[in-house]
Amino acid sequence: MPDGDMAGLLSDGQLDALSGAWNLLPTYLTPHIVLCATALTLGLVISLPLAALITDRPWLRRLVLAFASLIQTIPGLALLALFYPLLLALSALAASFLGFSIPALGFLPTLLALTLYAILPILRNGVVGLNGIDSAVVEAAEGVGMTPWQILMRVRAPLATPVIMAGVRTATVWTIGAATLSTPVGQTSLGNYIFTGLQTENWVSVAFGCVAAAGLALVADLFLGLVETGASERNRKRVVVGIAGLALGTLAGLAPLFSARAVTYTIGAKSFSEQYILADLIGDRLRADGVGVTRKDGLGSSIAFRALAHNDIDAYVDYSGTLWRNVMGRTDTPSREVMLREIAGWMKAKYGVTVLGALGFENAYVLAMKGERARTLNITSIADLARVAPELTIGDDLEFLGRPEWTSLKSVYGLSFKRRRSFNPTMMYHAIETGEADVISAYSSDGRIAALDLIALADPKHAIPSYDALILIAPRRAADKRLKRALAPLIGAIPIEAMRHANLMVDRDIDKASPEEAARALAKAVHLQPR
Amino acid sequence: MTTLPMADSSVSAPRIEIDAVSKSFDGGRSFAVSNVSFDVKQGSLVALVGGSGSGKTTLLKTINRLVEPDAGEIRIDGAPVGEAEPPMLRRSIGYVFQGIGLFPHMRVAENIAVTLRLLGWQTNDIEARVTEMLEMVDLPRDYARRFPHMLSGGQRQRVGVARAIAARPRIVLMDEPFGALDPVTRDNLGSSYRALHEKLGMTTLMVTHDIQEAALMADRIVVMKDGHILANETPHTLMRGSDDADVAALMEVPRRQAERLSALMTESRPVDA
Repeated sequence: MPDGDMAGLLSDGQLDALSGAWNLLPTYLTPHIVLCATALTLGLVISLPLAALITDRPWLRRLVLAFASLIQTIPGLALLALFYPLLLALSALAASFLGFSIPALGFLPTLLALTLYAILPILRNGVVGLNGIDSAVVEAAEGVGMTPWQILMRVRAPLATPVIMAGVRTATVWTIGAATLSTPVGQTSLGNYIFTGLQTENWVSVAFGCVAAAGLALVADLFLGLVETGASERNRKRVVVGIAGLALGTLAGLAPLFSARAVTYTIGAKSFSEQYILADLIGDRLRADGVGVTRKDGLGSSIAFRALAHNDIDAYVDYSGTLWRNVMGRTDTPSREVMLREIAGWMKAKYGVTVLGALGFENAYVLAMKGERARTLNITSIADLARVAPELTIGDDLEFLGRPEWTSLKSVYGLSFKRRRSFNPTMMYHAIETGEADVISAYSSDGRIAALDLIALADPKHAIPSYDALILIAPRRAADKRLKRALAPLIGAIPIEAMRHANLMVDRDIDKASPEEAARALAKAVHLQPR
Repeated sequence: MTTLPMADSSVSAPRIEIDAVSKSFDGGRSFAVSNVSFDVKQGSLVALVGGSGSGKTTLLKTINRLVEPDAGEIRIDGAPVGEAEPPMLRRSIGYVFQGIGLFPHMRVAENIAVTLRLLGWQTNDIEARVTEMLEMVDLPRDYARRFPHMLSGGQRQRVGVARAIAARPRIVLMDEPFGALDPVTRDNLGSSYRALHEKLGMTTLMVTHDIQEAALMADRIVVMKDGHILANETPHTLMRGSDDADVAALMEVPRRQAERLSALMTESRPVDA
């Protein structure tokens, strides 16, 4: 893979990223192929009979084509996201009436959305192809005594095949591209390269994902092109080579499925570096215990908890403040111990979700200052800050000054700044370095706090709820001793400095590490014993 | 369900009765075919002639139910065609299409065999019959593997005739069968078909706008205009003149041409010294 020629173009870090991406290819390519092949097969099975059915009924034809076009106008990501609540409702219905539930995350919603996407081009070309046949030929077919079915199968379908195949090719290229969007709803695909790469600013991974998806689309299109020209030139050899190529390619893509060990646990991750690192850390511990692990990465913040509650994922890390405010809908701010106890009790009672414990660090909103400046002004806590705040400028991440945490801080400490400025998160860190802001709203586990020699100011009056990182376990794993035993050593084992360092390894601009590498370094740093 | 027996030498060709047939395509405001009645005698070759829009093709299509008449009845040997299943009826009647109507995605052999397959013939019988048909319409045997677009117009129409008569129908309907061909090929195919018609003992109804072709091939000529029959006579009678001005004008064309041609052939041309 990375050879001598490329070494000249790429830095060592990029070469490492490239070989990392290459090693992940079977893991991402196989589900991508399974997904696309299934969606296209379903699309064909639905579209072709439908095209035959509506082609002679102008009114129905307009209606069906309009509906198919409408679906096509929904952005791919939105269509995928729409299926999640729909399947959740269906799953609840099925559970109450039939006694089993449908997975609402991952393969099924993605398959449904991609199938809908595949329908339009095949359907439209099917109708155009079947309608576009010389009426004299159709009359000749009637005249020699064919039934309507025989006319369809022996005359109209074969003559429409080149046009239909053009539609199938369009559908295939679309589907392979759109399938990369399935990552945020928990379906592993080549999109994992792109979404993970975007979050960790690993551009080699993003490019690798794009090239892999485009390459897959090109290869599939090449074989379908053979089928198409073979069909229109009545060259059976080409058709056979095209179909054989597609079949072999699909089988080759599926091969890892048959050799892979049985997968038992699914670990979820939201879409930022810390979540990827922690999911890798959990996954490594389970793998060390000899069990298989799959991942659902890049989950939306609210999707992640629902996915766990519905057993679509088995474990993930969430933050106490987020659960308290967003899931439980609480607005009060009790002490850390009370909050953790109440969360654990509520989760168990309401959803059967187990809170295994806190990892030992928080990822909360904190106010941070340059260490040197804080020492000069003799500030260590927000209470100290309140004294000099009227002389200072605060910079936020476009969000913090609109959040309840800020309202709470203002009223508890009587904070008031000379100026407020908003930046995107990266620019916010630049601003405090250059002195454009004196105080910024940071995340307490952000590696850049240490890297830029910032200090996070203490919150002695507990104005901001705590955001302890908690390991949550799905209802169906509540009694799983093996899982708990494997993860128990993580509880209380990760100090904030270790997490910051691991995050920084992934987030920094130079000498970047992958989340996997950061997870391994973190495990080493906190002396986790391999089991 | 009525099925018609296939032609063989021991069974005589059928008679077609067209009885007060009318057809309108606009809900009765105008009629493509208006109360038309005539018989096609067994074993005869009848030509339906007339200008475009005279209703001759519509009338032809009512016989194998490609068009359903609004009124009237068509009987074959006394059996109304309306009682037969259309696909079954059509398999028993040969049809040569205007503009040839070969299936472009099928090879010559498959085109000829299409009705045989629909009738469920055995593969060996089909192969033998295709070879026999190619011989009958004077096409080389290796043309069986060709596609229609690889043939000339005349060759294609020979395939069209072979397809129409492959299943040994007792009735053949032809719609402008030789219309698109050059005069030599046309004459050649016309006389070939007439010979096959005699040899196989079939009843043939042929639509044509070419009165000369009709006069040379047919036993009787039915002249149509605006959905009505103007004349139903032998070519001999029609060539001698008609009381109907339209018919007389129609027949005048080939007669005058024949006279001019014969004058040309007898005239002694001056030779340059």
